[in-house]
Amino acid sequence: MSTQEGGPGPLVARLREVVKTYDDEGLRVTAVNGMTFDIPRQRFAMIVGPSGSGKTTLLNLLGCIDTPSSGRIEVCGQDVAALSDNEVSDFRSRYIGFIFQNFNLIPVLSAYENVEYPLLLLGTGAAERRERTESMLESVGLTAQREHRPSQLSGGQKQRVAIARALVKGPELVLADEPTANLDSHTGAAIIELMRRVQHELAATFIFSTHDPQLISHAEETYTIRDGKLIEHRSEAA
Amino acid sequence: MRFAMRSIPVFLLLMTSFSAMAQSSAQDIVAASDKVRNPGQPFRVTSTLQEYVGGQPRDRVVLTVYAREDAATRQFKNLVRYVDPPRDRGKMVLLDGTRMWFYDPASKVSIRISAQQRLMGQASNGDVMTVNLARDYRATLAGEETVTDADRQARECWHLVLAAATEDAVYSKIDYWVERSSNRPVKGKYYSDSGRLLKIAYFRAFREELGTARPTETIIIDAVDPNQVTTLNSSDYRFETIPEAWFQREFLPRLKVE
Amino acid sequence: MSLLLKIASRNILRNGRRSLMTTLAIAVGASAMLLFGEYLAFMILGLQTTMVQRIGHLTVSRQGYFELGSGNPAAYGISDYREVMKLIEDDPVLKPMLNVATPNVTLFGIAGNFDVDASKTFFGSGVVPSDRERMKQWNEYGFERTAPAQAPAMTDAEPNRGVIGVGLARILGLCERLKLGDCPARSAAAAAPPVSRAVKDFTELAKGDLEATRAAPGGGLPRIDLLAATAGGAPNVVSLYVARAEPQGVKELDDSYVVMPLGLAQQLLYGRGEHKAVGIVLQLHRTGDIPAARARLAALFKAHGLDLEVHDFSELQPVYKQIIGMMGAIFSFIAAIMGVIVLFTVVNTMSMSVMERVNEIGTTRALGVRRAGIRRQFVAEGLLLGILGASAGLLAGAAIAYAVNHAGLSWTPPMQARPVPLRLLSSGMQALVIGVWLGLVALATLAALIPANRAARMQVVDALRHV
Repeated sequence: MSTQEGGPGPLVARLREVVKTYDDEGLRVTAVNGMTFDIPRQRFAMIVGPSGSGKTTLLNLLGCIDTPSSGRIEVCGQDVAALSDNEVSDFRSRYIGFIFQNFNLIPVLSAYENVEYPLLLLGTGAAERRERTESMLESVGLTAQREHRPSQLSGGQKQRVAIARALVKGPELVLADEPTANLDSHTGAAIIELMRRVQHELAATFIFSTHDPQLISHAEETYTIRDGKLIEHRSEAA
Repeated sequence: MRFAMRSIPVFLLLMTSFSAMAQSSAQDIVAASDKVRNPGQPFRVTSTLQEYVGGQPRDRVVLTVYAREDAATRQFKNLVRYVDPPRDRGKMVLLDGTRMWFYDPASKVSIRISAQQRLMGQASNGDVMTVNLARDYRATLAGEETVTDADRQARECWHLVLAAATEDAVYSKIDYWVERSSNRPVKGKYYSDSGRLLKIAYFRAFREELGTARPTETIIIDAVDPNQVTTLNSSDYRFETIPEAWFQREFLPRLKVE
Repeated sequence: MSLLLKIASRNILRNGRRSLMTTLAIAVGASAMLLFGEYLAFMILGLQTTMVQRIGHLTVSRQGYFELGSGNPAAYGISDYREVMKLIEDDPVLKPMLNVATPNVTLFGIAGNFDVDASKTFFGSGVVPSDRERMKQWNEYGFERTAPAQAPAMTDAEPNRGVIGVGLARILGLCERLKLGDCPARSAAAAAPPVSRAVKDFTELAKGDLEATRAAPGGGLPRIDLLAATAGGAPNVVSLYVARAEPQGVKELDDSYVVMPLGLAQQLLYGRGEHKAVGIVLQLHRTGDIPAARARLAALFKAHGLDLEVHDFSELQPVYKQIIGMMGAIFSFIAAIMGVIVLFTVVNTMSMSVMERVNEIGTTRALGVRRAGIRRQFVAEGLLLGILGASAGLLAGAAIAYAVNHAGLSWTPPMQARPVPLRLLSSGMQALVIGVWLGLVALATLAALIPANRAARMQVVDALRHV
């Protein structure tokens, strides 16, 4: 599970004077306004802040699905801006997993197929694919629902599939944008429990953007941002 | 006995010469009948053609014919000028051997009448009139026959069978009856290459003209369409000096004829 | 790859009605092109068959006849035509290709039925009847044949028997005798007008001669006279006994056409001259052999110093190529229209699909799929729609063709006088089927490319923002 360059360092991400601006209906918006900080590996990290503070944009930058307008950002030791579009896609497929607020499962695929999807992208062999997918489904407790389509699953079940999908390939970094926002508190608690467990098992780094106090209470690293700037960084001991 | 033996070769000689004489005299008869119809020198004659269809008189045309025998080819050239009906006055037809040209003074254009266009109508009769039979046909004597002429008179005739001798001969065969005593043509039957009878001609109304008794009326019956009969009356025969130029097609527009 | 097709096919099924509409549009296009193509093939090959049956594949004639000779066929006769025919028939290259070689004569003149005072210029053909019957059997494309209702009108054994056009028969007053139907009522004989006494005598005189020369009546068939000038310029006439009147497709031809045995035509056209042929008609086994045969004939004529030239049936009947050209243009036009409809339909359908799945596109890209992968996904859907539609359309087309072919329909082709069974030509149409299928599939795939490109070019974050 080593990165392409630089080897396994202690940091999963480094930001240096990162700025991101974009045009919103003719208006120039600066979502990230010069952030400089590091994020250590294998931690349960949260990004918190009011709406419009740039949480989602920061998460997008960390997830390599967006590039900074200026500044430098390294994810898993890789300067993402230096990569071509295809290389970034490949990078994502290997190292980064996503969990979305709206689950974002592919509607025409079954739970099993959704979880399997990232492994197919990586070209994993059939036997290993089956093994990992089954094991992941079991980890999230959805073995019985493996043939169900997303439309046949509850919100909590869908999120569990999403988690399984995000983790099946053993990513370095998992990014989750408001993962519990669309779940009731009971289900949310179960999901949080699940994510803690697998994070531990796989020694992955989780970075959340969230309002959910339940989730925040589990944070090992907390980054408070406002108006596109890092206000506070609190680190809990393991 | 010796007389008989000596007479055999004489007899044989007489026989062969007689048949040779018969051959050549058949041709002579035809030639003689040609002379009855056609004067030897250039002449002009007025021809009146009356067409009958199913017995009913139809078109009547009066023509002035200038005829001249070509010394080299022994073939007749005719320049025909329309006199009547008035709408056709001035139009001309030039017959040069087997070729026929029509000239209209209104357009000053002469056009060739093809053989196809001479299959029916008056143009088809030209072939009966102008020919010197002795030149184009080889005659053999078929015998002596009594034939009823156009006036329902019985005539003692030579029956001659004429076969086409040149490429220009229009008919492939002609049955020709010439009166023995006078060499006057009485009747002719004209056949096509396929053996079908095309025309029947009767010659009558013999009158002294230009030194010989000539047939001033010819009756031509179309054997293919028997409803069609044409009578041709010739009058006003005159010897005339006719310039050679008159029979040239290019000369037609400049021709000033009385 | 299978993931690609799995997702593509499931998405097609997911929007059942829309996919059905799209597939239907493509299928209609496929069916239409297939059926029209089969109809055209039937028509064109049927026309070719009729032409080749009547005038063969190639005609050998004197140099210049094709351009100049129809006004004067006698001037363009082929001397020693039997030797030329033998040369052609014995040639080792031509012999296996050749089905029939037969001489012919074309001529024109005046046809007359003088009993009723009717005459008309005619255009005539002199043929060898037995050869013509053999030529009528030609059927390279396997069209079904209705057995002829009557025995052949002309045979080699009857040298004076022929066939004329229906229009000509009417003009010559043979309507009733040839049982043509719709014959004008015979008007009461007009009172004979007083005749000129002189003429009447002569016709009575001529009667004896005329009756003697009348050709022997031939089995009660009506007789007409054919007048023509021989090659030498002499007037000539033959009798033709009309076995029947047959309608010719074109009115001008129908009003003037006469077919007679070769010998009679030669007698009329050449008279006392050498009997030649105006053309030598060659019918091959296969139309595809025409170029090889032409080349060989040209070489043969050159080697023997013969001033002959060869023309094929499409040169002799330019309307054939004109019809093919016109039909080809119509087919292309229809294909273009169908293509445009398919294009629009697929672009529209795929655009809607893309619009509905923007969020999914974003997710997929976030998961690590490249832009090309997104493009491929949507193109695959277009491809599948194309395959489904084209296949369905071809099958439906085949079913419709079967139904039409068994419905007993008939039609009258151009230049023809009689209707023939209408068939959509299903055999030997592989090129059409494959062409239509491939064409539509390719078109659907290309059409999907437009929205697929749009999907591929999307920015991930924008796509994810979509609901």
